[in-house]
Amino acid sequence: MADFSWDIRSPLDRALVAGPYGAQGEAGVSLTEIRNFDLVQVMARRGKAGETIAAAKARLGAAAPETPKAVSIADATVIWSGPDQFFVLSKGGKHSIDALASVFAGSASLSDQSHARALISISGDKARAMLAKLSSIDLHPDVFGVGAAAATSMDHTSVTLWRGDDRNGQAVFNLLVFATFAESLWHTILDSAAEHGVTIGHSEDLA
Amino acid sequence: MRIICPFCGERELGEFTYLGDAKPQRPAADAGEDAVYDYVYLRDNIAGVISEYWYHGGGCRAWLKVTRNTLTHEISAVEPAAGAGAAKVGA
Ligand SMILES: [Zn+2]
Repeated sequence: MADFSWDIRSPLDRALVAGPYGAQGEAGVSLTEIRNFDLVQVMARRGKAGETIAAAKARLGAAAPETPKAVSIADATVIWSGPDQFFVLSKGGKHSIDALASVFAGSASLSDQSHARALISISGDKARAMLAKLSSIDLHPDVFGVGAAAATSMDHTSVTLWRGDDRNGQAVFNLLVFATFAESLWHTILDSAAEHGVTIGHSEDLA
Repeated sequence: MRIICPFCGERELGEFTYLGDAKPQRPAADAGEDAVYDYVYLRDNIAGVISEYWYHGGGCRAWLKVTRNTLTHEISAVEPAAGAGAAKVGA
């Protein structure tokens, strides 16, 4: 039998170059790729939406969103991803698919997406102006406040977008994109952000 | 043109894919060749209000049933198609 040595790397490992990019001066957009997270898709089975919500509440202590919202709890974020389905985003294995399997046994189907998505956190003065070039979602704070979420498309690519808690008084937009599309969307984001000046980095911390 | 997805809210057309007329129903297994031919190939070319299937593939990935006027593109109703999500079942 052949031996395989899997080297787990971020889908943006090649494309992401930490440091400044685009216009000189103070960066208007900050891009941080978050690496090494646990991401589980939970999809309620036919007629089991109520049981799935109850199981999530018992396990996570918070109601899973039934509308496009993201709910932050102490050690995870639960993000709506479609009717009767949501993501559980966390770190360190506490809410990994192995940990959640028994919680949703009989009520929902789980799918491990930890290595199937890239997670990009976007902030800065010009974050919304930059995103406006890529997204048709109204991201004005009156409409898209903290905890708002959307399953939508950017540059013909399906994404899950949500607004996290503000950081240093600034809005934070989080973006989950399919791993194989991440590099393409990353370049599009850089093109869109270049005029504002960008600071690029990666992190192991979920905001 | 925009479609108000019952799950996501108002979205641009680019997030949706068109399937077509929502009216044809699969005939019973013993309905005969003519009924199957009709179901597979024959469509009314309606100038006016039509009920049709759209897929929100660039969003929540739910199938929707949209009531649209083909002359004006006015959309008068959008509902989940039967089986969308786990609980909501449309007509
Ligand atoms: Zn939708």
